[in-house]
Amino acid sequence: MRTIAPLTKLIFTVFVTLWAIMLQSLPALTLLILVQVIMLIFSKVGKTVFKGIASLFVFAGMLAGIQYVFNQDIMLASVTAAKMSAMTLVFFLLLSTTRMQDLSAALVLQCHMPYEYAFMLTTALRFIPDFLAETKAIQEAQACRGYTIEGNILRRLLSYMAIIKPLVLKAVTKSETMALSLELRGFGNKKTRSFGNDVKLNLSDYTLLLSMLMITSYVVAKIY
Amino acid sequence: MLELKHVIFSYKAQSTTIQDVSFTIKAGEFVGIVGQNGSGKTTLTRLIMTLKKPTSGELYWQNSSMKNAVPAKMAQHIGYIFQNPDRQIFHDTVFEEVAYGPKQLGFPSEKINNVVDEALEATGLSHLAKAYPLSLSRGQKQRLSIAAALSMQPKMLILDEPTSGQDACEREKILKLLLKLLQNGTTILLVTHDMELLAQSANRAIVMLHGRKVFDGSVSELFQNSQLVAWGLSQPASLKISKMLAAFGVAPTCSTQELGTNIVELWEGK
Amino acid sequence: MAIIKAENFSYAYKHPHKVLDSINLAVEPGSFSVIIGPSGAGKTTLCLAVAGAVPQYFGGSSAGAFEVAGHDIRKTPMHTLALTVGSVLQDYETQLVAMTVEEEVAFSLENQGIDPAEIQLRVTKILAKVGLTGYEKSEVASLSGGQKQRLILASILVTKPKILVLDEPTSALDPQGIASLYRLLSALNKETAMTILVVEHNIAATLPYADHFILLANGALIKNGTPDEVLSLMAKENIFCEAIPPLWQLKFFLESHTNLKLEAWDSEEAASKELTKLLQKKVSGNA
Repeated sequence: MRTIAPLTKLIFTVFVTLWAIMLQSLPALTLLILVQVIMLIFSKVGKTVFKGIASLFVFAGMLAGIQYVFNQDIMLASVTAAKMSAMTLVFFLLLSTTRMQDLSAALVLQCHMPYEYAFMLTTALRFIPDFLAETKAIQEAQACRGYTIEGNILRRLLSYMAIIKPLVLKAVTKSETMALSLELRGFGNKKTRSFGNDVKLNLSDYTLLLSMLMITSYVVAKIY
Repeated sequence: MLELKHVIFSYKAQSTTIQDVSFTIKAGEFVGIVGQNGSGKTTLTRLIMTLKKPTSGELYWQNSSMKNAVPAKMAQHIGYIFQNPDRQIFHDTVFEEVAYGPKQLGFPSEKINNVVDEALEATGLSHLAKAYPLSLSRGQKQRLSIAAALSMQPKMLILDEPTSGQDACEREKILKLLLKLLQNGTTILLVTHDMELLAQSANRAIVMLHGRKVFDGSVSELFQNSQLVAWGLSQPASLKISKMLAAFGVAPTCSTQELGTNIVELWEGK
Repeated sequence: MAIIKAENFSYAYKHPHKVLDSINLAVEPGSFSVIIGPSGAGKTTLCLAVAGAVPQYFGGSSAGAFEVAGHDIRKTPMHTLALTVGSVLQDYETQLVAMTVEEEVAFSLENQGIDPAEIQLRVTKILAKVGLTGYEKSEVASLSGGQKQRLILASILVTKPKILVLDEPTSALDPQGIASLYRLLSALNKETAMTILVVEHNIAATLPYADHFILLANGALIKNGTPDEVLSLMAKENIFCEAIPPLWQLKFFLESHTNLKLEAWDSEEAASKELTKLLQKKVSGNA
């Protein structure tokens, strides 16, 4: 998966989503999920990704359960859950096998998204772990001043302010510093930007794109 | 007062591990914890504050096991001052900020006013009681976080690099404050890179290296130790010079004043 | 010809509170200057002015003239000034935006539109320079604080700026880290004649390398001179004298208690060498 161009993977994501919407048979959807899981295993993604996938399946199971309670239709419930799993899995596949920078290069160069937006998207993903770490640090710092979450909901919400206020403040200063430092690193210079990433499509990419199209037409022909 | 017995802590694939550390801190001691970045100094103090639990080994606070202790409860015994005060500030006035801890501990309201006033007085922030905490200077914010810890009337203070990023005047103020707290009977654990500060304040030093305790003794013994540089530490300037002038009968000293007087006497042939 | 030149430059984030007050400053190309002074003296603001962030990014009001390598900092776009001035901010961890080490360094070059093949070469070379070879594919988040600082330094040096500005770069480093950072900066300064401007509280660490100290207090420039001139002034006029390194406190103590005039010591070794010589002379004179 890692050798495939990011654009191909983006298109693959779109196609899988389409297939998941169109397909109504449980075996077909199960096949789609299985293929994706096998692809993930072959891509050697980390443990954390599989943990995420496990919780995805749990969530899908819960969704099916709720649907069954309301409709009493086990087939419909399973199909909905399978559709959701198939669609979400492809994003796991995309994000765990593509470097953020390559994705943004593909979005800008090939999908003609403005660079600022692509940059924002990838940077936002990049800073999520930072903020989780910061939240933990603030929690610890306040715990040393006797911070606990006890009592009724109102009291809990009030005590959360001890975490939320410093976190928001940190987020604001961090984004300000980042904006400043981007300027200082010459980011404002739009005309000259170059991309060091090789995101060009090669033969295997074209083969994959072609087969995706063929699968889609088969699905369409089969259904209608 | 505080005892660590064969404490081991490992954290996934990280280098911040503690390998079999034992020591006892007596009431009224001023202990410096020193060592390179990543040697485990901060992890050690986090274990003491129960922010982390040891993988094996045990910690004791006043002879009772800290196995089931949580930071919010330890706070009434140990005040922990973080390097970055911004992570704790969330009130509208300095007074309220300092009052947060005692409130959380359930102090009665008359007592809260007293302890807050005392803490502000001790840290030289009384005149700023009504000020907006985020408008304070970096040094004042650091003293605010010390005041916030003092208001909970802890028996021990742990300070993680309180002088890093502070200017010389602020550093001096923090030093004086620590010495005064020590005089009033507070036990102090100071994590620092500043060898001059260590020489001016602590009586005992614990050196950490790759998660192990490699030295535990008096500060003057530490500076005499031949391994000092290998541990990533250095001598205060005065001690370095006084040792290089030992041939003239200059006594080893960490005090600039003493060294200066000594050299002047030699120069004047006394 | 000064590479940084301020004439009666004043600046206020919010009028009328002047953070910089009628600054007259000339920094020579190839110099290694350390900005010192109590907190709130305007040190950070001065650094930001050199990069054009003050007043361009922060707004506020300014007066007087400020030129960097012939560019007016108020009129030259910041990304143009960035070709001349590289800045390491106080919160340097936030300056890092990429996922991996090599992408981080490449980012600076991509912003300048440099050819991808050349980017690869320059990235490899600069990572070797700062001692991060072997970390190319590492995630930025997995680096230690000191390594992150070296990475941002590499990301800036790779664009070959004429001036390097660092705001309190050592506050999170241990003594060895501080020493090796200053050795690196000094090597850059000597090999490439890069002008270095650094804000530092730990004056003692800069003594072996700095050729100029710039002393600020309350937004005003008190003195820009050799370490000797500035430290002597601080001792004599009692300005921010807590910050005088212990080494120089000893020197001033000896000078005030004897009739000696001692050299400008840059290390404990230099001090004991001179003192040994003096005391030896004394001993042999007595004998």
